[in-house]
Amino acid sequence: MAAETPTPIPIINFKQQALQLLPDGASFDACLTCGLCSSGCPAAGIENMDPRKFIRMAMLGMNETLSTTPWIWCCTMCRRCQHVCPMSIDISQLVLLARSNWPNDRKPAGIVRSCTLIRSTDSTSAMGLPPEDFVFVVNDVLDEVRATQPAFAHLQAPIDKQGAHFFVNQNSREPMSEPDEMVPLWKILDLVGADWTYSSKGWAAENFCMFAGDEAAWYDVTRKRIEAVDDLGCSVWLNTECGHSYYALWNGINRFDLDVGFRLESLITYYARWIREGKLPVNSDWNRRAIKFTVQDPCMIVRKAYGESIAEDMRFVVRSLVGADNFIDMQPNRSANYCCGGGGGFLQAGMNEQRRSYGKRKFDQIQATGAAYVLTPCHNCHSQMEDLADAWHGDYHVVHFWTLICLSLGILGENERTYLGPDLLALLD
Amino acid sequence: MEPSTSRFSEPAHDTVETDVLIVGGGMTGAGIMRDLALRGIHSTLIDRRDLCAGASGGNHGLLHSGARYVSNDRESAVQCRRENVLLRRLARRCIEPTGGLFVAIDGDDPDFAAAFPQWCSVAGIACELVTPDEARRLEPHLSERIIAAYRVDDATVDPFRLALQHVAHAGSLTGSSYRPHSDLIAFDHDNDQLTSAICRDSRTGALLRIRARQFVNAGGAWAGRIAQLAGCPDVHLRYSKGTLLISHDRLTNHVVNRLRPPADGDILVPGGTVSVLGTTSLRIDDPDLAVPTVAEVDRNIAEGAMMLPVLATTRYLRAFSRVRPLLPAGDDGDDRHAVRGFALYDHQGDGLTNFCTITGGKLTTFRLMAQQAADLVAARLGNTTSGRTDTTPLPEDDSCRWTEPGAAPRYWHLAGNRDDMVLCECEMVPQSAIDEIVRCAPGAEEEMTLEAIALRSRAGKGPCQGSFCGIRIASYLYDRGHYRDRTGLQHMRDFFNERFKGMRTVIRGPQAAQMELAEALHCGVLGLDALDDEDDRDPLTQRLETGATDD
Amino acid sequence: MTKERRHVSCQLAVVGTGLAGFAAAVFAGNRALDTALTGNTGALAYTTGYLDLLGAMDGGGPPLDDPWQALQTLQATQPEHPLCRLSPASIHAAFTEFTSFLGSAGLNYSPPGRRNETVLTPVGTLKKTLCVPSTMAPGTTALTDKKPCLVVDFHGLKGFSARQVVANLGGSWPVLSAARLVFPGMEHGEIYPEVMARSLETAATRAHLAELLREVAGDVTTVGLPAILGIHRPDRVRAELEKLSGLRIFEIPTMPPAVPGIRLRELLEQVLPQRGTTLIPQQKIKTLSFEKDAVRLDLADNYGPIVIEAQAVILATGRFLSGGLAADPNGIREPLLDLPVSQPGSRADWFREGYTDRRGHPINRAGLSVDDSCRPLTAEGRPFDRRLFCAGIILANQDWIRSRCGAGVAIASAYRSVEQVRQLLGD
Repeated sequence: MAAETPTPIPIINFKQQALQLLPDGASFDACLTCGLCSSGCPAAGIENMDPRKFIRMAMLGMNETLSTTPWIWCCTMCRRCQHVCPMSIDISQLVLLARSNWPNDRKPAGIVRSCTLIRSTDSTSAMGLPPEDFVFVVNDVLDEVRATQPAFAHLQAPIDKQGAHFFVNQNSREPMSEPDEMVPLWKILDLVGADWTYSSKGWAAENFCMFAGDEAAWYDVTRKRIEAVDDLGCSVWLNTECGHSYYALWNGINRFDLDVGFRLESLITYYARWIREGKLPVNSDWNRRAIKFTVQDPCMIVRKAYGESIAEDMRFVVRSLVGADNFIDMQPNRSANYCCGGGGGFLQAGMNEQRRSYGKRKFDQIQATGAAYVLTPCHNCHSQMEDLADAWHGDYHVVHFWTLICLSLGILGENERTYLGPDLLALLD
Repeated sequence: MEPSTSRFSEPAHDTVETDVLIVGGGMTGAGIMRDLALRGIHSTLIDRRDLCAGASGGNHGLLHSGARYVSNDRESAVQCRRENVLLRRLARRCIEPTGGLFVAIDGDDPDFAAAFPQWCSVAGIACELVTPDEARRLEPHLSERIIAAYRVDDATVDPFRLALQHVAHAGSLTGSSYRPHSDLIAFDHDNDQLTSAICRDSRTGALLRIRARQFVNAGGAWAGRIAQLAGCPDVHLRYSKGTLLISHDRLTNHVVNRLRPPADGDILVPGGTVSVLGTTSLRIDDPDLAVPTVAEVDRNIAEGAMMLPVLATTRYLRAFSRVRPLLPAGDDGDDRHAVRGFALYDHQGDGLTNFCTITGGKLTTFRLMAQQAADLVAARLGNTTSGRTDTTPLPEDDSCRWTEPGAAPRYWHLAGNRDDMVLCECEMVPQSAIDEIVRCAPGAEEEMTLEAIALRSRAGKGPCQGSFCGIRIASYLYDRGHYRDRTGLQHMRDFFNERFKGMRTVIRGPQAAQMELAEALHCGVLGLDALDDEDDRDPLTQRLETGATDD
Repeated sequence: MTKERRHVSCQLAVVGTGLAGFAAAVFAGNRALDTALTGNTGALAYTTGYLDLLGAMDGGGPPLDDPWQALQTLQATQPEHPLCRLSPASIHAAFTEFTSFLGSAGLNYSPPGRRNETVLTPVGTLKKTLCVPSTMAPGTTALTDKKPCLVVDFHGLKGFSARQVVANLGGSWPVLSAARLVFPGMEHGEIYPEVMARSLETAATRAHLAELLREVAGDVTTVGLPAILGIHRPDRVRAELEKLSGLRIFEIPTMPPAVPGIRLRELLEQVLPQRGTTLIPQQKIKTLSFEKDAVRLDLADNYGPIVIEAQAVILATGRFLSGGLAADPNGIREPLLDLPVSQPGSRADWFREGYTDRRGHPINRAGLSVDDSCRPLTAEGRPFDRRLFCAGIILANQDWIRSRCGAGVAIASAYRSVEQVRQLLGD
């Protein structure tokens, strides 16, 4: 039960805090107030706020307004404002600060609940799926694939395999709601001969504790996942098709100054490598109707982390899959891409009207490409863009990379086609 | 005495009438205007520029506790103490009771520091000893080298809001009026009386005759010149130029004074969201030639950084100079030793019975100065009402509220109207503020300059110093029909030129980036440096213009 | 955590992603030089899109109609000016090559002509420039021909007033009127040109706006809009809007944050990598060291440290806004290599008293002194390193603001530097 009178939100002295947050070579008092940040921010205007106003209000001492504005839950902390700022000022740091300052009972319940669930089991799953259930689901699905898809009668989905090269994570949505969506990933890993394992502990990808601004919980989850990897002695923590999972762990390790003995890598990099090496012999011959595809760069792995190199890998993979002529880039793209509005916990925050208004820019971007499909290696992007198609009446579909890779290879099972539109389904018939 | 004005006696210009003409829209003039209005007397206030254009606007904004003067000018110290208490009570919204600290640094004269509490006590000024550690807890930016510290009742005051509210109050009481950019050029005499003043509108050149029964010279540093126009040669002033700096951030909560005899860079005063550092002191001969120099800026920073090391590295937005009008006294060459008292001249000795001059003094004592002048004027008019400025609270007026730092965004945010665009993004001044100022602020006019709007708001006071909002506000004024032709561009250019005067000596570090962007925009793109000859640049344009009509 | 240092090896490293840096990368790419480009791109986003060569002589004087003739004068009067490092013919070739590149990437420009064009500014003044984006060029034609014209602005778009443009140009443009529209889907609140431009990349918004324009235009057939006609393919957006509305449409630049600069930035950031340039955007070089076998540049992006090793470097780091120069209280400094900066004697001499003084401020002429090959010089007057070249407005002896020659200096010196790099590497 929520308390009858909500806990008051403490008031932060933003200017004082800002002085302690000085990023390298850029301070908040270096702002030229030119407005490039707000011009390029999809959250500008929501709740009558934008990045420039946020900075100025901080400098003008409007601490109460900033401490209590719900806008901080509409800003996805995507750091596009910093990307376009000539002074490289990072406003997202102040937003995260404001988030962490809200009492738990005032924070958007969806985000808090997800964080609580993450900490409720060793799985670190935002949907609260316990380790034994995860193990059960994986084995159950695996059994069914082995039984029904003769080509994959010997498919593997190892769990807790000591010394495996790859520690593979998984967004909870798959084992929880659409377990068949895990199968294309397994097939790919099988095909390339990867030495991989799931872990019964710390397998889950998502980390809403970071979005909740709950440092202690974020640290806790980070530690748990690091321990899980170390327990199995894996060399690479392989982040699958989820954006913030990568950022939360990678940034958490840096933020909390943790020492880990493994590498953090993105599955996208490996898709590209395996295609280049011929281990994933994909081609675009199947796309005989020249169906158009675009790609969504998740902020969490492109702008905020790997940058242009992973964006380029992603495009290489897409072009290989659908044909260079059938790939149309969104504008802007790569590190300059807009956040879809699904990030930062916005999808879970229950602020649907604001979230869809934020996402209108993404919707326009997609519409401008004329593409029938958006590929993205991020669950939040995926869900948000699907929702935007409904809300703004678009007719595109959103698909995972693994789906299209298996489609191209001709190994996409019957139950693995949830996200395909009629045109693609028709090609498979 | 020779009448000075016969050449203006032709009736070729408009004439207005008033009981009292007050010359000089500084704090004293505005104070006299309100004081008279509280006695039921109508007045007209004129200024050749605008409110607080002289020393009233160009100072620290420090409402002295009096402690600053205890060592060398006890009378001023006592006056300050009394006025400080009064104004805090009566003009609450214009004053922030910050409190003040006096700090001595390793190397400062320990005898001076030791004598300080005794001097304060003699002047009746509250003064509390604090340890250096306590002082640093109160103000974390204070130097480690502090050896002594005292707490006093210094406060800060927003002179612009104070002046605006005085003028607004006088207007509401008696319909007294204020006329900016009215340059006094002559008086008409009739025996022992002045009968009217002739002013030239410094923007249009139009002449105006103002008939009055009494004339008050509240010209501050320019009082000597005004007195001379009236044929009174006996107002002698010395001009002391002081240069001050405004920082991007508010660095302290208290006023911080150096505990030593007054010298350069020894006071840092918070001003809402910024801090003001000063001042230097330099004797000059012409009050019109007071511009800050790089050397003065550097001197202030070097001295100020002794108290607060952060002052060496902080971002400064502007520097400005003001001229203190000092009364002649024992002259040892250092104007800081001059007493900061004021003087009221009744000019009886000059053969005039309806002209007086009030000058000298300081911002903190403006009310007292105004009261003494008004007492004389009222008596001469036969008005027996006594002054009420020591008991009457200064009422609020909405149109005067926009000068308060950080207030505009609060009003704007509270109203929650997203169609009310923020035009000055640095200080977050919305278009509704511009509307209100243009409609009803004291001195509002149909075609207001951007400078006049900036004086009545925070527009242009932030880090970009108006370089963006000058463009946005001008385009808004075109939209609203206040600007209708190319003079709007001139207003823009003049505004940027005026803001630049303050920026010129502090352009360094991040401010150089801001300046480069501004100049590229104003000159490189908009061509405001070539405005005067733009019409000549395109022969085709010129030809067509002569035959064209404007739709 | 294991953190790998990433290595980039190339022939040429260009430091700075303003106009000069991008132009250098374009010229280098066209000459098949293996190039890496890095820098902070902010300042480019402030441009109007106009590419000025020379709009006025240094130190004041009337606007120039013939920049080429003025270059000859400059050769005689200011031989140290960066525009005098190469012949007018080479400068023409550089402009042609650069604008052709932009055109081939989807952003068409008028080619450099024999005379300057007269173009519109956001407040309704006029300006001289050499090359005009094709979305704006019809405005120049309309101005010259005094065609009956409607200027449209939008509710919520601050800093651009059609009434202002008309008030200031109306005297010389007989039938010029103003109208205000509500932009489709943006009925309330503040709106930015960038957002409008992105929206116009969708067919639905174009159709809606075309309808609004048709209604408001009445008998007038030429309409001027703030620069909002798409970011990515503005020529197509304009063509489709013209087709749908039956109107002649042109753009007028707006004050920052404006579309034309964002267009240039996004286009170049996208196209250069496609043509082989290694781009590391939005990062500043931490150190630049000249080793025996290579020039080494150290930087870091969000992901971690990067090392670039190159055979030659072009420094195009801009002035104070971009961090190429630092205005320290004690003097102007070049922060990356501490190269000597030619500058006024003291800080008191940096600026004149009057902001809009036609003669310009002495600080604007401060910068790096170079030899004829655009190599920065040491205090002794020798090249700092034979592998180091310099381009753009960081160069001394020019006032790009007063002479309206920013793009000219950037493009010309980039061209010269790349030619010299090619010669060096060919040796």
